[in-house]
Amino acid sequence: MDARLLEPSVLRRLDALAVLVRRAVKGQMGGEHRSVSRGRSPEFADFRSYTPGDDYRLIDWNAYARLDRFMLRLFVAEEELPLSLFVDLSGSMDWGRPHKAQTAKRLAGAIAYVALASLDRVRLTVFADGPTSGGAPYRGRRAAQELFARIQSFPVGGPTNYSRLVWPIARQRPGLTVLITDGLGESPIEPAITALRLARQEGAVLQLLAPQEIAPDWTGDARLKDAETAAEREFTATPATQAAYRTALAVRTQEVEDAARRRGLRFARLTSDQPVEDMVQRTLRQVGLLG
Amino acid sequence: MTFLAPAAAALAVTLPVIVALYFLRIRRPTRVVPALHLWPDQIRDRQANVPWQRPRFSWLLLLQLLAAAVLVAAALQPALPATASLAPHSIVLLDASASMQAKDVHPSRFDEARREIGAMIDELGPQDRMTLITIQTPPRIIASGSGDHDAMHRALGRLTVSNGSADLSAALTLAAGVTRAGEQSRAYLFTDGIVEPLHASFANGLPFPIEYRRVGVSGENVGLMSLVVRTSAQSRAAYLRVHNFGQQARSLTLEWRSDAGLIDLRALSLQAGQAQDLVLPVPDAAATVTARIDAKDNFALDDSVTAIARTPRAFRVLLVTAGNRFLEQALRLRTDFQVDVLAPTDYKGSTAYAMTVFDRFSPPALPDSPFVMVDPPSGSPLAGGKAVGIGRVRASDAGDPLLTNVTLQDVRVARSQDMSASRFGRALITSVQTPLVLVRDEPFRQVLVGFDVHDSDFPLRIGFPILVQNLSEWMLPPSVPGHSFHPDEPVTIVPESGATSVTVVRPDGSRRQLATGAIATFADTDLLGVYTVEQTAGGNTDRSWFSVNLFSDAASQLAPVDRLALPPAKAFPSPQTTHHGFLGIWPWIALLALVLVVAEWLAFHRGL
Repeated sequence: MDARLLEPSVLRRLDALAVLVRRAVKGQMGGEHRSVSRGRSPEFADFRSYTPGDDYRLIDWNAYARLDRFMLRLFVAEEELPLSLFVDLSGSMDWGRPHKAQTAKRLAGAIAYVALASLDRVRLTVFADGPTSGGAPYRGRRAAQELFARIQSFPVGGPTNYSRLVWPIARQRPGLTVLITDGLGESPIEPAITALRLARQEGAVLQLLAPQEIAPDWTGDARLKDAETAAEREFTATPATQAAYRTALAVRTQEVEDAARRRGLRFARLTSDQPVEDMVQRTLRQVGLLG
Repeated sequence: MTFLAPAAAALAVTLPVIVALYFLRIRRPTRVVPALHLWPDQIRDRQANVPWQRPRFSWLLLLQLLAAAVLVAAALQPALPATASLAPHSIVLLDASASMQAKDVHPSRFDEARREIGAMIDELGPQDRMTLITIQTPPRIIASGSGDHDAMHRALGRLTVSNGSADLSAALTLAAGVTRAGEQSRAYLFTDGIVEPLHASFANGLPFPIEYRRVGVSGENVGLMSLVVRTSAQSRAAYLRVHNFGQQARSLTLEWRSDAGLIDLRALSLQAGQAQDLVLPVPDAAATVTARIDAKDNFALDDSVTAIARTPRAFRVLLVTAGNRFLEQALRLRTDFQVDVLAPTDYKGSTAYAMTVFDRFSPPALPDSPFVMVDPPSGSPLAGGKAVGIGRVRASDAGDPLLTNVTLQDVRVARSQDMSASRFGRALITSVQTPLVLVRDEPFRQVLVGFDVHDSDFPLRIGFPILVQNLSEWMLPPSVPGHSFHPDEPVTIVPESGATSVTVVRPDGSRRQLATGAIATFADTDLLGVYTVEQTAGGNTDRSWFSVNLFSDAASQLAPVDRLALPPAKAFPSPQTTHHGFLGIWPWIALLALVLVVAEWLAFHRGL
């Protein structure tokens, strides 16, 4: 069941994608991303003077003939990209048709697979009231199924507390962090976004909503129950109250988007009725997260 | 104010029910939402949140209670007293004759009368009944003793006006028939007063009083009152009468056309009340001729008339006499008769003649065809007893159509055979001593005259040729009469020998099939215009025509009658009582309820 988080046909099409970063990264192992270090890729980077201890195989003998001094030919090092996925599995995600949490897991799995296929290192963290680590970083395509099984194993529920994401985000090595959430928890999302910025992370916020919460399809009397806090309130839905709700939702989502963009993060709003393949191939490519 | 449906007050129980529903705590379904804090903190106090809570002001509850109260008020059917005074049983007599098509009141007299009757229906009380009878020929009962307003309105709306006359006597007879003994009834007569004269039998009165509601205001009308085509040996001509019945001089154009096209246009000027007779040419090939005037008056039915111009088929008639100028001349007046005269000694019997007249002669064998036997000689099987002196004569039945326009007042007969014992047929003209003229239908239409016309001054009177004309038309009716008929007047059609189908095509194109084996009476003559009779025999179709025109001085006169002589009401055992009708106001109250419901809907959507 775990291995079926994403269908093989979807995975085959994801093979052609790669996670994009705007600036060079510093990883621990070789990968397919430009590193701040000089390395052994075919891509020429610069010259520098030879100093004892350097690999004499990198001496450019043509430059020596012209300049009469040893120059080292430097190439761009290609290193792995540290990718951190933070997936919201709070109670508010346990809702909607299609189910928001399940869609978030599939989306996270798809992004992780793209990264793993590019030899990037993927760290998975799910959160609700607090963060829960998804274990040691995953690397290589073969780790994908393990990551899928792991992400499927997390329960869904509890309130959202973005402020408790500050520490896990701050301790990340510079890289790319993707936050998948509905942004609807009672606690503000600002601390988590600020932490991304301070940790010099390239970040992306993917806000995932269900169609039924964007346009409620019911009216009349009801007892409303909060999916996260289980708080209840009696309520009479009328066209006027539905309009007020839609306005509040629009304000909230706009706040999330503004916070992300203000801090230079990429932002995309997704709905759970979108096919994951469509989210990846279309939306995430449009915002420059994948390419 | 009166409530027509007081039982509907029981519906007021809905008011406390609404209040009770408001106080009852509702069971709300639980809905899980991802972010409760995004939903406005709003709960509608349409209903209580806790059982039997202290009532709080709610616009919705107030509007709901108001709407329910107003609906209950409408269901009670409150009514205000109206001006009309109605009896428990109202008999409405509506004139549906031709003159009610006049448009001197908008849209017409008939529609105006219907509007007034409609208002009267609305004013009927819960216990009141109404009978609706249309005055036409024959009259019809549209609704009998009904208190159902809707049914009465529907029946009234379906009524149409006819082109015929108004037989008020028959309508009053019907009205008397629907009245129950001891019932308080009152008749309301909606008419312009242009009705057929009342029968004398109504002088004894009716079991209800009649209230005359005059309809119509003006008698301005120019009409075409007669159109006849006469054929003589020399020519054919049409005689047309135009009459201005109004109080003002009128100028108009007469359009004269045949079925082949326009013949003439003439400008006419008529003083108030003036009639003008015109002689108009008729082309030889014309089958029908039509006169039309652009009178632009209040009444259109008499602005166009049509006559049949085709010469009727000729009959061969044989007169067997030793000499009788009176009979011969009277027979020759018929232009469609070809009269042959034979002396009794030359008579051999022939089937070539459609009719034979035997004057003081009786053949050895009577023909199997129509005949007239005048003063049969002794020895004849039709001869009567010995001669008796007569003197004055009279009609056996003054209303007999065979005596139409025949005056017998000054007629004397010197002597006649005693026909008292004759079993020939019924008496047409009789005397104190003996029947004088007898007629029979079987086996053929035949006439027996018991006296020699020379022993009477009857041949010297105008009634004699008219009687011969009437009798000969009766004995030899044309297959299709070519003259004009009045609307709704039955037309006798004698199918041609060997006809396999007889169809009448009405002016509107509709077709009526008639039986071919017997003389048929066609009564669907309600439309004005030309009727075509198609008879098919041996694969050939023969067409003949008759026309239906208004030709009614009474209808065309058009001026509504101010005072109509009506039968008195009989003395009643109890005094007649009437009450004011009711003016229902519930539709307005129902409209108010609708406004309140809309207001409640708006209040709900605006979150009040």
